[in-house]
Amino acid sequence: MNLSTLLLPAAIPAGGMNTVVLGVLIALYVLVIGFLGYRGFRQTKVRRDYLVAGRATHPFVMAMSYGAAFISTSALVGFGGIAGQFGMGLLWLVFMNIAIGVFVAFVWFGRRTRRMGVALSAATFPEFIGKRYRSNGLKLLIAAIIFLFIPLYSSVVLIGGARFLQEVMMIDYHLALGIFAGIVAVYVIFGGLKGVMYVDALMGTVMIGGMLLLLVLCYVRLGGVIPAHQQLTDMAPLVQERLPQAFALGHRGWTVMPEFNSVWWWTLVSSLMLGVGIGALAQPQLAVRFMTVKSDRELNRAVLVGSVFILGTVGSAYTVGALSNVFFFSPDKGIAEGVRQLAIEAAGNNPDRIIPMFIREALPPLVLYFFSLTMLSAAMSTMSSLFHVTGSSIGNDIFRTLSGSGRGSVTITRAGVAFGILVSLGVALLLPPGIVARGTAIFFGVCAAAFLPAYWAALYWRGATRAGVWASILTGVGTSLFGLLFLHRKEAAGLGICRKLFGCTELVSSHPWPFVDPFLYSLPLALVVLFVVSALTEKLPAQQIERCFPAAGSDSERHVK
Amino acid sequence: MLGLGDFWIFAAMIGCIAAAAVGVVYGALNWNRGGGEGGDGK
Repeated sequence: MNLSTLLLPAAIPAGGMNTVVLGVLIALYVLVIGFLGYRGFRQTKVRRDYLVAGRATHPFVMAMSYGAAFISTSALVGFGGIAGQFGMGLLWLVFMNIAIGVFVAFVWFGRRTRRMGVALSAATFPEFIGKRYRSNGLKLLIAAIIFLFIPLYSSVVLIGGARFLQEVMMIDYHLALGIFAGIVAVYVIFGGLKGVMYVDALMGTVMIGGMLLLLVLCYVRLGGVIPAHQQLTDMAPLVQERLPQAFALGHRGWTVMPEFNSVWWWTLVSSLMLGVGIGALAQPQLAVRFMTVKSDRELNRAVLVGSVFILGTVGSAYTVGALSNVFFFSPDKGIAEGVRQLAIEAAGNNPDRIIPMFIREALPPLVLYFFSLTMLSAAMSTMSSLFHVTGSSIGNDIFRTLSGSGRGSVTITRAGVAFGILVSLGVALLLPPGIVARGTAIFFGVCAAAFLPAYWAALYWRGATRAGVWASILTGVGTSLFGLLFLHRKEAAGLGICRKLFGCTELVSSHPWPFVDPFLYSLPLALVVLFVVSALTEKLPAQQIERCFPAAGSDSERHVK
Repeated sequence: MLGLGDFWIFAAMIGCIAAAAVGVVYGALNWNRGGGEGGDGK
């Protein structure tokens, strides 16, 4: 294809792009992934290599892998579309992702996790908590929670990736699902965390390149940074006029915050800013990455790379999503000359279509090809980290603990990963359509409420007891599930259990409770329970505390290194 | 305010850039710290 054709805007017919060109690109990409997976496989000799990449990962690889696992297709396309619908308030989530998800996570959680992980010879998140509190039961409980909830998230990411392949390559959905899971399975099962992180570093680089290109081209197309923002600000009166339902929810324009205490304000603040923003701290597949580096120096360096990565990827996605309204509403741009539509109208009321439609209509075809690789990368990198953490929970934490096998067999963990992938594939086939965003939100909320107090206390509070942690985790999971089933309208109405049992959509219908994310009360409750039960129960032996918090450079730390 | 309609959105945009800048400066200043035996920042 002629390069000049690829660089002209909107040159692609509505039907899609040249599948041969895209097919060749994807094939080349898969070859590179195969090579990196093989490199991981060659370097994986013992359990430690497979689970924590030998604790010798390069800081760039670690930061890119953390970022690529963190940011999935649903963050870029799903939340990017939400920004197209409701505006730039989502930038607060980007701020939280950088400030909490990278800075606090690496500096305050990462360093201690790494040091304690070395001191305790822990190689997975459940093993880390189990060894910290000297409890195999806790290890099994956390592994079981991961095994129960992660397939919900990994399968929705799998569905998202397969739908994308189905649309751009025009192949059967089930075939796409199989191809997608197959490619990821090969490099996760054989390459272990080394393979996963090498591939993630490549994918992270593609993601940040693709998203920055998208942001720059968007501003260029709309006449510059300030003119683009100003045009979007001037469109605010259109919300009331053309989107009365969104206006009723509190939407007041794309460059202003939603009305205080409105439904959309609560969703933005409680679910997105706080739930997803803070929830990132307690995700097992991210926490395990802190244990993959050799020293604190790698974590310090990774803060630099990680901050730029998050700003460049999600920052770009949410800005472009909101600004797409200017393009679609402009009489000389839009999807056809003279047709003036808001982004959500142009996308037929489906926010997931806003970002892909904008790219197809507004930007050069070359960007669309590059963007396709960006999307596949975002989906595959998140999925591979989830498959790895599910598999290591089954193989390393559950099977090895229950069978009493003390031997560090990579084969058992590989079998666990293969089993975890099959479960995710099975769940993906069973799940009804439209579950993607809900599955993601449930996963983040439950993880935060269940693991954050126990994880924080493991690192910072010597007085936390085994019983306190048990009670906190059970309270976190229990309250989250209760909130999802009986209080939070989105899930309670969707699942219908509250209606069957009590004849109403949710138990408390006075504003704002149906819209307050369960995370907002389940996390504080789990924290209170941790403090109260720990104060009343038997403390861990002083010897164990000394082992967990070794003095810097002490013999015990040198010994385990 | 960069053409944005609300101080809070302006603050969010500046906050994102500032947070990333803090990360970059922190990473650069501590580039070689914490690489010792215990990796404890010394």
